Amino acid sequence: MPALAMPVPLAPHDDRELTAALRRCADGDETALRHIYERLSAQMLGVAIRLLRRRDIAEEVVHDTFLRIWQKAASFDPERGRPSAWIFAILRYRALNVLRGEARIELVDDFEPMGLTDDGPNAEMMVARLSDESALRGCLDRLEPPKRHAIVLAYTHGLSHGELAGRLGVPLGTIKSWIRRSILALRECMA
Amino acid sequence: MTQGMSADERDLLAAEYVLGIAEADRVAICERLLREDTTFAPLVETWRARFSELDWTAVPEPTGHELWSRIQSGLQAPEKAGFREQTRTQEAIDTPLRGDGGVASALAQAWRSLGLWRGFGLAATAACLTLAVALASLLAERSSTPIFVTIMAPDGNGRPAAIVNTFRDGRNELVPLSAVNVPKGRTLQVWTLWDREKGPVSVGLIDSMKSIDLVVNGLPPARADQLFEITLEPEGGSPTGRPTGPILMKGNAMRTL
Repeated sequence: MPALAMPVPLAPHDDRELTAALRRCADGDETALRHIYERLSAQMLGVAIRLLRRRDIAEEVVHDTFLRIWQKAASFDPERGRPSAWIFAILRYRALNVLRGEARIELVDDFEPMGLTDDGPNAEMMVARLSDESALRGCLDRLEPPKRHAIVLAYTHGLSHGELAGRLGVPLGTIKSWIRRSILALRECMA
Repeated sequence: MTQGMSADERDLLAAEYVLGIAEADRVAICERLLREDTTFAPLVETWRARFSELDWTAVPEPTGHELWSRIQSGLQAPEKAGFREQTRTQEAIDTPLRGDGGVASALAQAWRSLGLWRGFGLAATAACLTLAVALASLLAERSSTPIFVTIMAPDGNGRPAAIVNTFRDGRNELVPLSAVNVPKGRTLQVWTLWDREKGPVSVGLIDSMKSIDLVVNGLPPARADQLFEITLEPEGGSPTGRPTGPILMKGNAMRTL
């Protein structure tokens, strides 16, 4: 297993390969699931840790996700989206369930009171890491910085409206309207 | 409840659901729509495709054989139905969930000890910080005193992996605290984000974690909160002049006392 996987957004040939692997999973071929694990598990764990902040819990979510992939591989429809998007949707769904569930309070960032993290640069760096050709990046760049930060932090760190309000230092109502207006702007921009 | 919802409202709902920011009652509406209204799922899928690129901005974390072994044994284990009620369903992705498998029990067990973890996490955090601050001050005594110290860690927090000392004379010294396993044909590249308009600027290229002076020629003096990060890039550095590989560690500059 490689020590470090590269998070290269998948190319079309990876889509074909992953779609084929999911078909083989549906037929009960464990080596196909192993293949998906080798290709995606490091990135999946990275996403889960970013959302959940605890490696142990994130590993449980990745574990859960792979069992889910195994059970539901037959329901993947390549006409409806990319295989990696399907897999990451399962992962995010499960991670968000954990975040929004019983653990919500416990998982609140330990670092907040110490003010060690500044979310603005963090969100900006994530945007900067999107490829230059990315439509999402182009459209996020057109949002005012605080709105861009709110959208990016919501997706990547799973922050709720309330947490965003606290982190970005604005009233809850403002965050809600920022999110709604940003969504509409992104939709128009990405259409 | 969703009667008369405008097209915009439906799309907003789908987007909030995918962003993960929808409140429980709106999530419930979403999930009902996903079950009952075939025109809603495509909205969710479209937003999912739009945002999915952000999944590739996370720092990949090596997974090992142990996790795979556990997954593999989970494949063979018979499903224990109805162990734990799910609060949300998963129609958008597949058919509705009916109770969860054995995995949930491990997770549930983990939750029960969460209080313990939290205590441990805080203690560990405090210990790491103390360590980093102690190290930083130790290093500071050996040269002149840095005006900023940046503690870099994976995903910006957790165990410090390196620090950057910024001195009054403009020198920026990278001091590694832990080794990084650099795959063959790859390089570690150090970046700083001084100005968002200009984007991250490369300030160093190393084949392994070692102390170096960063190349900041032409950059304005460092300032508080300036971001430093190290990414894994192809040999010779990023071909695009911007970070292309995973962020291995990062941190923001803090002013020293």
